[in-house]
Parts: sequence; C-alpha cells; structure tokens
Amino acid sequence: MKKIVLLSLIFFALVTGGCKKALDINSTRVVNEENSWNTMEDSRAKLLGVYGLTRAALADNNGHWIYGDVRMGNFDSPLRQDLKAIIKNDLKASYPVVQELSNWRRFYAIVNAANIFLERINEVKAKDPRYTDNNMTVDVAQIRFLRAFAYFYMVRIWGDVPFITSSRDGKFENVKRADKNAILEFVQAEMVAAAEVLPYRYSVNDIQQPGQYYNESEGRWNGTLVRKLSAYAVAAQVAAWQGKYADVTVYTKIVLDNYSRAAMAYSPTDYLAGRRGLFFDKNNNQLFAFGFIFGHQDATFVGNIESLTLAEPIVNKNLPDIFVPKDSILSIFKEANDGRFNIDSTGIVHSQLYFTNFLGKYPIFSKIKCMQDGSSDPTFRIFSSAILFTRLEDVTLLRAEALAVLGERQGAIDALNIVRTFRYNVDNVGATNSSYIPYSPERSGNLIDAIFNERNKEFMGEGYRWYDLVRYHKIVQRDAKFVQLINSGGIYWPIAQSLIDQNPELVQNSYWK
Amino acid sequence: MRFIANITFLGLLCSSTCSFGNAARSACVSDISSFKMSFQQQTDSAEEDSAKLKVDTTRFQPKSKRTVFSALESKGNDVDPKKLAIFPAITLQQYLKGEAAGLYVQESSGEPGTVQNMFIRGTSQPLVSPREQFATQPLVVLDGIPLVGEHPFAYDIQQFKFDRIGPATNSLSNINMDNIESVQILKDLGATSVYGPKGVNGVILLTSKKNSTVRKINFESYIGLAQPSAVTTINGKFENDFRRQFYDKYTANGSYSGVDSYPLYLSDSLNNDFYGPSNWNDSYYGNALAYSVNAGISGGSERANFRFGVGTTTSGGVGDNTGADRYNTRFQINMRPTDWMAFTAIINANRVDRQRNKNVRDRLSQVNYIPDLSSPIAPNNTKYSEYLAEFDKGFDDNRSNIVEGLVRLGIDLGKFKFNSTFGLDHNEGYRDIFFPRTLLQTTNYASNYYGYSRRIFFDNTATYDLKINDVHSFNFVVGSSFQYDTYKYNYAYAYKGSNDFIKLNLLQSDPNRSDYLEPFVFKRELVWKFLDKTRNNQISFTGRASYNYKDIYTFSAMLRADGSSNQQPTNRWFYSPIFSGSWNMKKDFLETNDFVSDLNLRASVGRMGRAEQFDNYAQGPQYTAFIGFTGNLIAPGYNGFGTLTRPYNAGAIPYGLEWAYQDQLNVGVDVAFLKNRIRASVDVYSKEDKNQLLGVPGAAEYGYNTIVRNGMSIANSGIDAAISVDILPSTNKVSWTSSLNLNFNKNKLKALPGGLSELIIGDRLLKVGESVDSYWLLKNEGIFNTDAEVPVGANGQKMSYNAITLKAGDPIWKDLNGDNMINNSDRTLSGHALPLVSGGFNNDFGYGNWTLSVNMYFNLGRDLINQEMANRFDFVNREGLNNINSVREITYWEKRGDYSKYPLYNPWSSSAPYQVNQDLFLEDGSFLKLRTLSLGYDLTKMMKKKMPKLERFYVYGSVYNVFTLTKYTGQDPELVSYTGYDTGYGMQIPRTYMLGVKMDF
Repeated sequence: MKKIVLLSLIFFALVTGGCKKALDINSTRVVNEENSWNTMEDSRAKLLGVYGLTRAALADNNGHWIYGDVRMGNFDSPLRQDLKAIIKNDLKASYPVVQELSNWRRFYAIVNAANIFLERINEVKAKDPRYTDNNMTVDVAQIRFLRAFAYFYMVRIWGDVPFITSSRDGKFENVKRADKNAILEFVQAEMVAAAEVLPYRYSVNDIQQPGQYYNESEGRWNGTLVRKLSAYAVAAQVAAWQGKYADVTVYTKIVLDNYSRAAMAYSPTDYLAGRRGLFFDKNNNQLFAFGFIFGHQDATFVGNIESLTLAEPIVNKNLPDIFVPKDSILSIFKEANDGRFNIDSTGIVHSQLYFTNFLGKYPIFSKIKCMQDGSSDPTFRIFSSAILFTRLEDVTLLRAEALAVLGERQGAIDALNIVRTFRYNVDNVGATNSSYIPYSPERSGNLIDAIFNERNKEFMGEGYRWYDLVRYHKIVQRDAKFVQLINSGGIYWPIAQSLIDQNPELVQNSYWK
Repeated sequence: MRFIANITFLGLLCSSTCSFGNAARSACVSDISSFKMSFQQQTDSAEEDSAKLKVDTTRFQPKSKRTVFSALESKGNDVDPKKLAIFPAITLQQYLKGEAAGLYVQESSGEPGTVQNMFIRGTSQPLVSPREQFATQPLVVLDGIPLVGEHPFAYDIQQFKFDRIGPATNSLSNINMDNIESVQILKDLGATSVYGPKGVNGVILLTSKKNSTVRKINFESYIGLAQPSAVTTINGKFENDFRRQFYDKYTANGSYSGVDSYPLYLSDSLNNDFYGPSNWNDSYYGNALAYSVNAGISGGSERANFRFGVGTTTSGGVGDNTGADRYNTRFQINMRPTDWMAFTAIINANRVDRQRNKNVRDRLSQVNYIPDLSSPIAPNNTKYSEYLAEFDKGFDDNRSNIVEGLVRLGIDLGKFKFNSTFGLDHNEGYRDIFFPRTLLQTTNYASNYYGYSRRIFFDNTATYDLKINDVHSFNFVVGSSFQYDTYKYNYAYAYKGSNDFIKLNLLQSDPNRSDYLEPFVFKRELVWKFLDKTRNNQISFTGRASYNYKDIYTFSAMLRADGSSNQQPTNRWFYSPIFSGSWNMKKDFLETNDFVSDLNLRASVGRMGRAEQFDNYAQGPQYTAFIGFTGNLIAPGYNGFGTLTRPYNAGAIPYGLEWAYQDQLNVGVDVAFLKNRIRASVDVYSKEDKNQLLGVPGAAEYGYNTIVRNGMSIANSGIDAAISVDILPSTNKVSWTSSLNLNFNKNKLKALPGGLSELIIGDRLLKVGESVDSYWLLKNEGIFNTDAEVPVGANGQKMSYNAITLKAGDPIWKDLNGDNMINNSDRTLSGHALPLVSGGFNNDFGYGNWTLSVNMYFNLGRDLINQEMANRFDFVNREGLNNINSVREITYWEKRGDYSKYPLYNPWSSSAPYQVNQDLFLEDGSFLKLRTLSLGYDLTKMMKKKMPKLERFYVYGSVYNVFTLTKYTGQDPELVSYTGYDTGYGMQIPRTYMLGVKMDF
C-alpha cells in the first residue's frame, strides 16, 4: 500500500506539472511582450515594422494617389463613382473608399509603433551587446522622422489632428485635436534633428553610420531607409506647406549641395518613365520612398498608381480607373520640345513616355509602369513601383518656388532650368538633342506659373498635385473659389464618422459639418 | 479496490496541488446510454427484440445519466436515427434539420458537402464573420469523442473570406446514420455540463449501434435522383432594356447616347453570345444521382464481440456538376478479459471527396487576383460549354480524411467504477488546384493545401454508488479531462507557370545547386507560401454528487474547474457549479391516475465557462507580422525582412481578459396522457452568455481598429416544445402519429463592454435591449421625382444624406429625428436574421405493413435582405469598380426576384440610392417546406418465412423537398448564410426521388 501511495504521488506530481505546462502555450502566431525587446533582430523587426506601417498607410485604398492626384486634379474616371466624387471634392459621398480615406487610424498606427519603439528600445540596448550606440542613434532618428512624417501627412489631409507622442499602452485616452501649426513646428524640428544624425547612405562607412548596418551591405539598404538628405527634403516640403520659404531655401540647399555624396543624380526622362527606371525596385535616387520590391515578393496588385491608371494596351484591363482627358493633356503639355509628351501641329504624338494610346477614348497614363520584374508582359497586373515621396527634381523645384516667392528671381530660374535640362531636350520628332530649351517668360509664362506647371508635368501621378495646388493658390491668391476653399477649411478631408463616434472629443471639420 | 483507493487519493492530491479548491472531477465520457425514448414512434419494432440479445457494455459506463439522470433530461431531446437514416443526407446538419426543438440548422447551399451551421437556442454572439460562426457551433460527440471543428484562423490570410482555404468540406460529413443507435440534442446545462466549456453551445450526442453477440448482418441501400427546379433565363436584351430605363431617365442628354460609358457586352445587339438564346442552364443544371450502400456485420460472444461496417454515399448537386462522395468504415471491438474489466476500441474512418462549384467569385477569391471583369460569362450555351471545357485542362481536387479513434478501459468493482478513455479525432484536408491560362486572362495558377484539425483527449472518471436503502441512494463521480487541440495548415500558391502542361509547382531537387528547393516552373517571386499552426489545450476537473429519493426526487450538484490555454495566465481557470433536480409527480401522487401516464418536472441552473477560440487572447499586448493593407493582407515584410508591429488591424489585446461564461436556467416538464398516447415535453429556458469578448471600436488615435474587452452579454430565452399525439394508435390497423417540435427564441443584447449602450460595428448596430441579429436599416418611403420635392429644413438647407444634398431621383428616406438630415441616427434596427420560431411538423401514418411519413420544416419570424436584387439595381457602382463585387456568375442570367418592387432611382447619385441597408430590400423570409414524403413497406413478416433469421426487411420510396411556401421573392429563403444577406450564391436544394431498402439478418 505504501508503495502505491508513493508511486501515485510521483505520478500525480508529473500530471500536475504537465497541467501547467499544457496550458502555457507560446503562440506561434503572435509574439508577446516578454519575447519582444531582447535582441537586435527585435529592434530591426520593429524598426522596419514602422516603415511597413507607413507604406501600408500610404498604399491603403491607393490613398497616396487619391489624396494627391485624384482630388480636384488632372484625372477623370470613366466608371468609378467613388473616384468621381473625390474628383468633385464630394468627400462625404457614401462610398467605402471615400469613407476609408477619411479615417486616419492607419497613420496613428505609425505614430503608436514609433512611440513604443522610442519608449522600449533601451531594453534591447541593455540586453544585446551587439546593438551599438550608433545603431541605436540611427534607429531612433529614423523612427522620429517617420513619426514626424506621419503627422505631416495627416496635417495636410485633415488640418488639426490629435497630437500624441507617447504610447499610453493600455490606457488609450481620447484626445482632442491639436493646432496644426504647432504640430508642423514639431514635425519640422523633429525632421531636422533626425537629419543631423542620419548618414548619407547606409553600410558605406559613413561617418555617422560606420560599419554594416544590421550586418547587411549597402545594396540591401539603397533607397529603402531614411537618409540625411531624405530628412532635409521632406523638411523642405514641411516648411513650404507652412509658407516658411526661407527655411525651404536652407534645406534644399543642403540637399542640392550634397546629393552626389548620397550617390544620387537627376533622372533623364527615359529613366523616369522606364519600366526598370526610377520607380522600380529600390535605388538611391528614390530620395524618400517605400518600395514594393519584386525580388522580396513585395509586388502587389493594389497600392500603386499602376492599378489605377494602366489599362489596354499596357495591361489586359479594359478601362483604366482614372485617366487624363485629352484636352487636359494638351493644355498641360503646351510647350514644345518636351520629352515627356510631345505632339506636333499635325496631331502626331512623338513621345509616348507619359501617355499611351493618346488617340483612343481614354489615353493611358503610362509614365509609371513597373510590372512584375520590370517586364512588358501585359497579362499579369502585379506591380512593383515604389511609393516615391520625394526626389531630387522635387527638391530642386521647391527651391525654385521658394526663391521665386522670396524674390530671388534669377536663382529660381536657375533651379527651374536644372530640371528643364533633362526634360526640354528633344526635337519636334522626339529625338534627343544635346542642348535644352531654358525657361523664358514668353514660352512658359510668368515664373511662379512656370514652376508650378513644371511641377504638374514632372510629378503627374506621384501624389503631389493637390498639395501643389494649395500652395500655388496660397501664393497667387487669384482664384477666389479656391482661396475660399482654403480659408473655409475645405482643403481638408472630413473626419470619418466612425472616428467621431468612438472619440467624443473630436469635432468635425467645419467645412464638412 | 486498490485501484480505487489509488484514484481517489490521486484526485485529492491533484486538486490541492493545482490549487483550485476541493473541486472533484468528472469527465466528458459520453454515456452510451440506452435511454429508450418513448417519444417518437418507431417505424419498426424488430430492433426491440434484438436489443435483448446485446451485451450490455453500458454497465461499465459511469451511471451518469443512465439511471440517476434520466429523470433530469428532457424527453424532447431525442431524435430517432432510424427515421433520419432514410434521408439522403451527406452531413449531420442535413439529417437534423427541423428534427429537434431548439436546434436550428442552416443549409445555405444545396451544394453537397459544404459547411452548414447549427445553432442551439439562438446565437450567443453577433454573427458577422466566420469567427463568431465557429464560436457558436454546438459540440458533436460521437461515441464519447468530442469532434473537432475546422478552426477559422486560416481566414487571416484571405483577402476574400467566402470560403476557408482548403477543401472547405463540412467536417460533419463523417456520420453514417445507419450506424447510429441514438441521437440526443442536449440543450440545458444540466445535460451539457459533463462536456464542459466546449459544450457551452449545446451538445449533439451520437451513439453508435451496439455490438451483438450473435452474428448479425445489416444492409442498407438507396438510390435517388435529384432534379433541378425550372429557372427562367434572361439574356443581354433583358439586361439592356433594364439598364436603358436608367440611362433614359438620368443621363445628361435625357436619354441614352454614345457619350455615356456603356458596357461593351451590352452595346452590340447583334452579338449572339449575349443577345442570342440564353440556354446556359442546359449545361449548368442537371439531374444528379444520390446513392448509398452500407453493410455491417456484428458478432462474437459475451467476452468479446465486434461490429464492422463499411459504406459509401454519393450526393450529387443539381448545379454546376457538384457533388460529394463519402467512403466510410467503422470498427468496434469490445472485450471483457475478466468479469470486472472491459475494453472497447473504436475506429471510424471517412474519406470525403468533393466536386466543388465553378463560381467565378469563389475561384477568384481562391486565386486572389481579379482579372478584368467588364464582361460576364455569356448566357449562350455554346460559349458557356467552351468555358466549362477549360476547367478540364486543370483540376480542383478536394479530399478530406476524417478519422476518429477511441480506446476505453472500464473497471467495474460493484459500487466503484472506473473508466478511462483515450481518443483522437483527426480531420485532414487536401486541396490541389491548377487553373489553366484560359481561365485567368492567360495567367495560370497552381495551389496546394494540406491542413488538419486534431483533438487528442484523455478522460478519466471514477464513480461510486451508495445505496443506503430503498429510499435514499447516492452517486458520486469525479473525473478529469485533458484535451489537446492542434490546427495546422501548409499552403502555397503560384501564378504564371511556364505552360499549361506542367501543373505542379515543382521545386529544384538537386541539393548541390544554389537554387535547391526553389520553384522553377513558376517564378520564384510569384510563389507564396504559408505555414500556420495554432494550439489550444484544455484541462478539466469535475466532481458531481447526486441524490435520489425513492425515484421521485433527484438532485444533482456538479462543480467544474476548467483551464484553457487560450485564457490569460492570470485568469486561466474557471470554476463553475451546475445544479439540477427533478420531481416525478406521476410516481409521487398520480400513481393511480389513469389519465396522466407520466408527469415529470425538471429544472437545472448553473454556470459554464466559455473558452476563447484564438490563442492570441492569452498573450496580452503583443506583436504580429501583419503590415498589410486593403487588397494586400499578405505583405511578407519590409525590404525582405520580417517585421513586428502591434495588432493594429486585429485590435488591441490588454492584460486582464477574463473568461466569458454562460448562465442558464431551464425548467421543463415531460408529460404523457392517456396511456402515452399524448406526449409532450416543454422546456422554458433563459440563458445569458456573459462577459464575452468584443472588439470595441476605439483607440484609433493609437492606431487600433478596436480594443478587445470583456463585457458583452447576450441573452437568449424561449421555449422548446415537442408534442406528439397518437391520433390513431399503432394497435389499430390504421395508425397515425402526429408530432410537432418547435423552438421560440428571443435574442437580446444585455450589455456591452464598459457599460456602453450601443456600438456600431461595420454596418451593424449593437444596441443594448435589442437583438443582435437585427439589421440596421434606413426606412425607404419612395422617390423624389423632382428637386422641388426635397424638403427644406429650418436652416434653409435642403434635406441631405450624410451631408450630400438630395436631388430628384434620390430615395425618400424617413427622417426619424426630424433634423432634415438623413444619417445613421435615422437607421432603425429591424428584422431578425435568425428565426423567432423554427421547427418541424411530422406525421406518420401506418396501414398494415405500410408506413407513410410526411415531414414539414418551417421558419417563422425570419427576415432576409435581398442583396442580390440590390446588386442588380446598383450595377453602376458594382461594375465601376473592378473588384470581387463586380463578379457576375452564370446565374446572373437567371431571372430571380421581383423587379417591379423597386423604384427607379438615379444609380449614379453619390447618396447610394440602392445601398443594401434599407428596408426596401428587407423581406419576410419565413417559409414552410414539405421536406420529406416517404412511403414504406415492411416485408419482414413475408420474408421471414423464407429466411427465418431475418429481423427486418423494409423498402421505401421517398420524395424530398417537395415544395416551399414563402412570401420571399428571391430564391429559396433557406439559401442564405447566417448573416441574413441573400447574395444569390446559394445553390438549389433539389427535389430528390428515392428508393431504398433496409435489411437486418
């Protein structure tokens, strides 16, 4: 009997031990806090997670282009009622895409992930000796930049937004909207602070980032992360949006003086519109971009300009979601010798880089067409173009704009001509010349108009147009209707009803009440 | 005796070390009870005689319900498997539809072998996605094996969630009703409590036929023909005429003109494909065979006996060449090496092959790529046949293996009994696909899926009977149960293979090459691979004490401790009590009453934990690899590295989540009058599922869609009634038994997390005090014919919808709050997606050896949203977007619904006049069906002269789904999923004619 008692004791000790073990399952689907901030691999996953969230926020429902290009822009839509509503600035229309784009949640995911990162990264530093001071400095700078970027993007869309700089994990208090100008001050300061500690490039022994970044060589990082000049370039946009043009000249000068250190160059028109050109894969000329890299299986069916604009004959889709009507094309591309689009007096199109099938009912906007691995196979509509937020031409034209506003006319013309060098260099049958046609008021109109027209042509389909329009009308104050739109807050999007329902502190933008 | 001492001691030990107080334990061992129901009339009586011959292995079962508890159970719970067995069903749900009060079955498609839903006593959660559907299904227990379902975690990688990836075969296709001895539907906690948290939604108990000690053979077979019902087909002209009305009324020029964008396929009226004969139905619909052959043999001795059965069943669908084939085999062996020990082993193995539909939507959601959808499939049969022929160049194989195994050891030492069961349910599925280039705009597609759901369990129970005298007797049970569930899948798909002849995603097999294991037929970058696995373990300890006073009063108290790995470590265990009692009034004071032949009052009250189904809730704040976005949920990483971010899309998971639980009170009475000629069983219940998790929209400024919180409470209360009357008793030459079972259920949301009174989730409103299956709709009152008709409010502004000024051609929606603005506050909760009343009405007639049964099935107080019609009228928006909603199936060319019911709104208006959530599309979905009409003849007596060993020889002919009575204007109102939105995707449930035979000898 004693033996039995003893044996059973042992047996049940085992069973109960097993009991606890059986109920403690470490999920293979999610990672809990305990296993989250321990090693360098954790910090890399979290850092790139913030990038991934930013990419998702911009790509969601093709938001980056719908906000930037479709809203009151050059594009029209043959069939999509939701896009037609947005084109008309009818932003309360009851279509899922319109409602989704009124929701800022996905941008706050970036902010929250960044806040958590800034609060927790010390733990990795303490636990993993491989994680160096410099690595942490550079990581933190990128995260601060991305958080500032998310706020910049939101302020452009909604104006005043709630301003949150800590994770407040577990106690998610509802927050009021904060003044947009104050947020933009914060954004600009954060970006400049980040710019100061970021390297020109990664894994090339930059003085500010010695050695291999996360043990990967430069090829892995080219064009994918925020670099010093990316931060200054976006800071220039922030300053321009605020109307602080003096700051724009400072930041743009840093970029234009140093771009060769970042292994960058201006893009020829062929490269700009090439299937394996500027937008393809990752490269240093993507000054600040989020890649959908084919080789990494990132290519997607949606979340890119191609899914909106391309159709027959470029890809096997009947009608494009959006297109630029012929009249608009002709009125935008009025100047001759333009390599992007070139039509002669007999109506023959010599350059098809921007538009294909110009003579059809719906000209196809085909400037960006990175299909699969850069092939021309029209049968599978998976795209690999990066979401390119800024590039050298943008910085140059911003500088021209700033100088023009500040009255430094010659400096502005010089900057404008840098971009023109690469664009107005074809003859009237589309062959490339060795020289280019510089700016002259007779050909291109007054300087401010010429700069903004150039921006319209250069950045078509890159999500710039709407913000350029706002800045333009703020400068020239000519179009009473648009000025009224600016003054009444109509340039902002309505806040999604679902957000107002869940946060009683929020008040709808007055224009959309 | 030593065993028992051991066990009791160990029990005490474990209870103290696991620190859950002095809870005793009991396990979910199904009692293979032979509680003979007197409720439904038997169609034959041969079985009765043979029952005496059977070896009584039940004496080795704990006396859980067999004696003490039979008084505690409703007599309306039982369904006669013999009657069910003549139905040509392939799934358990089909067998049980309309057969038991309180069990509501949804057969949302007539496609054989697809997933169907069951709800016992209403739903405890708002049914918006497969998650809730999974969480509300009852537990099915087959011979003591709690069957595992198919976990919905795979939906996480699916852009389009119509069907789960994999074969999506109904995992309850594994029941061969000819093997089943008894079916019980357990609803109240008194009955379900032994099955623990997994049985919180109710339990369906299936018990197989027992082994026989003399050689017995059974043989059953049927053959049937399923016939499609006639449909009205339409062609391009019909659609063109329909659309022109809108163009003529609302386009800029006042009538249709060339500048309007008009679909190409309707533009050319000379195009014979679209404007010619619409005879696609010749290829789509067709007669289908349903047949089944089953045979079994049983034999042995008192000491050792066995039963072995094999069978095959084919169920054909009448649409799209669908069908399902099942091959099943079952083996059971009982052994009694000594007088006090018994051993049982069971294996039940099934193979189910399914021929799936060829719906464009389902194919594209599998392929996850949307080709240009501007033209639908042409209604012309020649074209359609060409299209169908393309499928032959590829394959779509769906196979499932469903295997249950069990080993049980029983020890009987008189008053002590000990029972130990080890079992397994393994349910695996394969789906292999190749779609040729011709089906997807010159891109071919290959996919392979393998996944399984597996439950391993180990149950122990010890019982002790204490009979003090004839007056007082006690029964004690302690038990433990360990359940280990694993769900896993491996899945890969690839686009653009090099040609249509190599249909496999081949990998480089030479280990010396640098591209070892890389795909080479399909591009590496266009091959996506997924592995996922989730586990869920549950441990339970139970104890129960029962007391019986002279067979008049019975009381039972149970205490459970359940631990689940899906609950957070701080709240891992849940302790719950269940009490039940019964009072046999007949025995107490009506013993001599001739009028009342049975009167038994029952009551049970208790609490049961409700464990979560997803393991992420146990982890607290967490990080996931998800960085996808609308249209791309599977973004693998950033710059080729995996990422970790908070679960912003899925919702914030805080620490401190608690168990959800159910409180249920059930009071029932079983009564019989006039020598059992009138039998009734009525149960009144009130159950409330409390403290359930809900993702509450919130924390958007912290990036989250929702915050997951405890606190949702949903009550279901109602009545289950079953009444059966022998109008003409079976002793007469002509007999007639009529029985009615029905459930009335009222659903009510009692509380939301954080004391909220209402919550908007998507296009649904959850409002405390209302039911969770209601639709949230605008009230439609006509059309504004001119701009002048739009009312002007006090502020001088015209009436608006969500800040869009209404114009001519927009709907008049009722302005409930009178602010001249139509928005969410003008929506009301109306209708019910689940019926208020559902049940069956069965009549059995007998004349000599003839039997005739007429079974009807009905739903009352159920409402549907006719989304199919909304889609038709909303063609402008659905075709403008090239997405999954723009898909038009071949059945687009079938005329369904009543077009004249709907006003001609301006479909281009941004106020979305044909949005589905308005009462314009709400319809009464109540119906009555004549489900079975069956005529049988018992040849036993006649044949017995020639074959003396014959016990039963029964032949029958039946018609199923004879007719449906309904006011609903769309398709069959049954063909709608749990959401209540009729998308038109349900395939006809066909009328089937059948001949069958059943033999035992």
